[in-house]
Amino acid sequence: MWTFLGSDVMFFGAFIATYLVYRGKSLVGPYPNEILNIPVTSVSTFVLLMSSFAMVLALHYVKEGKKSLGSFWIWSVVVLGAIFLGFQVVEFTEFALHGLTPRTNLFGTTFFILTGLHGGHVTIGVIWLIFMGVAHKKNALRPDNAEDLEIAGLYWHFVDIVWIVIFTVIYLISASDGAPVTVPHLGH
Amino acid sequence: MSDFWKELLTHKGNGWWNLPKTSQSEPNPKYEGPIGGPWLTNWWKFLTHSGVDHAGPAFYTVVAIFLAVITLLEVWIYTIKEFGVWLNPILIVLSLFKFIGVVAFFMHLRFDHRYFTLIFTFCMILGVSVFISALLMKSFAQTIQ
Repeated sequence: MWTFLGSDVMFFGAFIATYLVYRGKSLVGPYPNEILNIPVTSVSTFVLLMSSFAMVLALHYVKEGKKSLGSFWIWSVVVLGAIFLGFQVVEFTEFALHGLTPRTNLFGTTFFILTGLHGGHVTIGVIWLIFMGVAHKKNALRPDNAEDLEIAGLYWHFVDIVWIVIFTVIYLISASDGAPVTVPHLGH
Repeated sequence: MSDFWKELLTHKGNGWWNLPKTSQSEPNPKYEGPIGGPWLTNWWKFLTHSGVDHAGPAFYTVVAIFLAVITLLEVWIYTIKEFGVWLNPILIVLSLFKFIGVVAFFMHLRFDHRYFTLIFTFCMILGVSVFISALLMKSFAQTIQ
């Protein structure tokens, strides 16, 4: 799993770099300062961070053999992950209604690809954890094979750290980006 | 109910924060000092030396509060325009703290074998290299133009 996560670091590194390369290059709006909603995304970031916290508690209690607490925290991760995805769906819909789609401008293209790929990772994580929750209910996930949940947890935490970077780079640092400054033509 | 709190906070008499046993708790610890020895020289060992178990709920709660507070701090700093050119470096440093908090403790790299840290660090270096290369290429292209 660590090797896979290492490869995923390079994967996301390339897409975040691409976002930065094309940052401020959009010739038509909507621009980030017109459309990004920092308060709402801060809440979704908090939700994802808390899902990571729920994940470590789930692993702890499954390892300790405490079935009800283990189940509670596994399903908490699923619910928090689903809430995060809900935020993303609402955000994408809002953007589309305001005229920003992947085809609108370079900001739209890089933004939707990067956050969409991250959302895809979260979706896979949620599905994986639903299987874990069901396995735990059926006693197929026990303290002696809790490593299965630990591996799912590593993936989940990785999704969280990727979002930490995306939130800082796209939402906080780029949020004030507006239309490119046009250089006056000085020809004769 | 008292068993719940005992379990949450004391880990069967193994200390208030239920931390795993590491070399720090041995009679003659390998890395002496408040945070693992003369940490400027031993910082790598401090970060990577392996324990034998993971931490417990109370410790993870502290880490979660720490991460939540940093997120709030980031959003608050973002609203203050007086930081000017310092805004981005401050946000990046705070983000780095969160990143390390999750990787070291939630992903329990701090408590695992250092081999995993080496794998992840190596891939991080490669990832950051890809990142920097792309930005350098952009800068180079702009210079040519």
